[in-house]
Amino acid sequence: MHDHLWLFLATLGYLASAGWGLYALGSGRPLANWWTLSLLIVAFAFHTYFLHERGEAIGHCPITNLFETLAFFSWSLVLTYLVVGPAYRMSILGAFTAPVVFLINFFALAAPVDWPSNVPHLGWQLELHATLALLGFGVLGLAALAGVAYLIQERQLKRHALTSWFYSLPNVGRLERVQERVLFWGFAIFSAGAALGFFIPHAGPSDWVKIAWSAVVWCLYAALVSVLALGRLSHKKTAIFSVAGYVFILLTFWGINSLSEAHVFPHEG
Amino acid sequence: MRVMGAHVICGGLTFDEVPVELREKVAFRDAQLPQALREVRRMLGLTEAVLVSTCNRVEYFGTTRNPDEAARAWPEFLRQFHSINDNFSALSFQLRGVACVEHLYAVASGLKSMVVGETEVLGQLKDAYDIAQTQQQTGKWLNRLFQSSFAAAKSVRSRTGITRGHVSVGSVSVELAEKIFGDLRKCRVMVIGAGDTGERTARALMRHGVPSLLVANRTHERACELAAELGGEAVTWEAWEEHAIESDIMISSTSAPHYVLTREKLEALLPRRGRRPLFLIDLAVPRDFEPSINLLDDVFLYDIDDLQTIAQKHLRERQTEVTRGLEILQPHVARYMAWAARQDDPPEAADFPRGVITA
Repeated sequence: MHDHLWLFLATLGYLASAGWGLYALGSGRPLANWWTLSLLIVAFAFHTYFLHERGEAIGHCPITNLFETLAFFSWSLVLTYLVVGPAYRMSILGAFTAPVVFLINFFALAAPVDWPSNVPHLGWQLELHATLALLGFGVLGLAALAGVAYLIQERQLKRHALTSWFYSLPNVGRLERVQERVLFWGFAIFSAGAALGFFIPHAGPSDWVKIAWSAVVWCLYAALVSVLALGRLSHKKTAIFSVAGYVFILLTFWGINSLSEAHVFPHEG
Repeated sequence: MRVMGAHVICGGLTFDEVPVELREKVAFRDAQLPQALREVRRMLGLTEAVLVSTCNRVEYFGTTRNPDEAARAWPEFLRQFHSINDNFSALSFQLRGVACVEHLYAVASGLKSMVVGETEVLGQLKDAYDIAQTQQQTGKWLNRLFQSSFAAAKSVRSRTGITRGHVSVGSVSVELAEKIFGDLRKCRVMVIGAGDTGERTARALMRHGVPSLLVANRTHERACELAAELGGEAVTWEAWEEHAIESDIMISSTSAPHYVLTREKLEALLPRRGRRPLFLIDLAVPRDFEPSINLLDDVFLYDIDDLQTIAQKHLRERQTEVTRGLEILQPHVARYMAWAARQDDPPEAADFPRGVITA
């Protein structure tokens, strides 16, 4: 489809942003400047336009196959960064977001997962359920990326090995605060999306694979957030579990969506 | 290059040639500078003048048609102004034209400082220039030269790692504390023992906003003295562990022959602290904190060797950036020299009669 071009352009923008971020971190050059943010915003605009075009073409929220779902998944991650980054003055997270978004988009574009689908009307409840769940994943993803930044900085402080990253990354106090707050928000949004799923009327058998997977993800994060709220977990372990949770989502998301009956639609032609 | 640039000169005494016991004899106090400026301008035959006096250098910048005469008059000026007998001829340097411009830009950028990359010198140059300007001792040559040197320095600082990393135990500790906690204004510090390095480190932390400080020492009177000096509060030796629970940063420099804080002891204290990180600075030899403490989550332990190693590494890194800094300065130097070449009126010879200082 011609709309791939917009996602391709967005992905190029994310690649350039990721390249600059890694170069700046390694060389100690300032990460945040007007053009790097502009680059990410332009890439996000292309990404958004792709989703809009695809949504117009299929008449649904563009989450009807794995390709669209991955594109929406990565879009929600960038959206979260663009909200959280300025709010917490954590532009550094852009350097961590861009590579992940690039990889997700690259997989979506390269793998044969854009099956044309003939989807019946989903209904606003189902669209909201899926959208909230994916947005929740985006927010949890940003929490994990803040966790990665925390673990890198913490490791440098522990090992007394101060590289150029030490100067570019924020202090661990700020990283842990942002990571934990974003984690709570991500869990809340994902929980809302998951809860909405119970109220959606559906015909036919339930999608037990996806329900079981969602339940596992929710339980993992619920345990993490509960222990965190009780003050029983060190900042380091919180970061490790947050990263591990998101890696689990990333590694299983495509498989679950491939197996999921609710998202297997008959191919046209 | 036109002869114009050659009229801008600088000279004086710097730390790399002149030991402190001589530099201190010729340093100018702020209050002396206005008169010294007038005299240096008159005796050296300068049409414009700026006099820079810091703990590491005493230098003049000026414009003249007769640099040789200025070089000869400089030691005499120092002798007369400070009423001393030392002869600084052999120890003084003079640079002319492009070499002078390069020198000022490098000094302003911290490339020629004793501690490479230190930023204090830029403020000192700005102060010296302000005084000279207020005293109407500068004109278009030095105005342009100094103002462009500030811009050149900014460029070097922002494009190199010349100012990155601190180079003393105290400032490295502050840098680490800021990377752990961010805002030090909410941190509580406890000083255990009353060693000099510990005191200096505590002072450095307080200068960066630490609001409260506790001091514990085996001799309580000494703890009280140090607490009074630092503006903190003394606690008894027996009670320091209780107070440690509330502390975010602990600096230890006792002469105890054994660990003052063991891992076992700290593990028992940590649950009572909540999830706040703890920064431990062990300045004692033998060490006061058991090294395996560093394996505990949210605890960051540095001993004196760790801090000194970081300081030395920073210094080496700064020195490797000097070449890059000098390269960055080249376009700035070229711009100034190009501007100088476009000027029609060379700096006039001073109209002042030369002679002895009439203080």
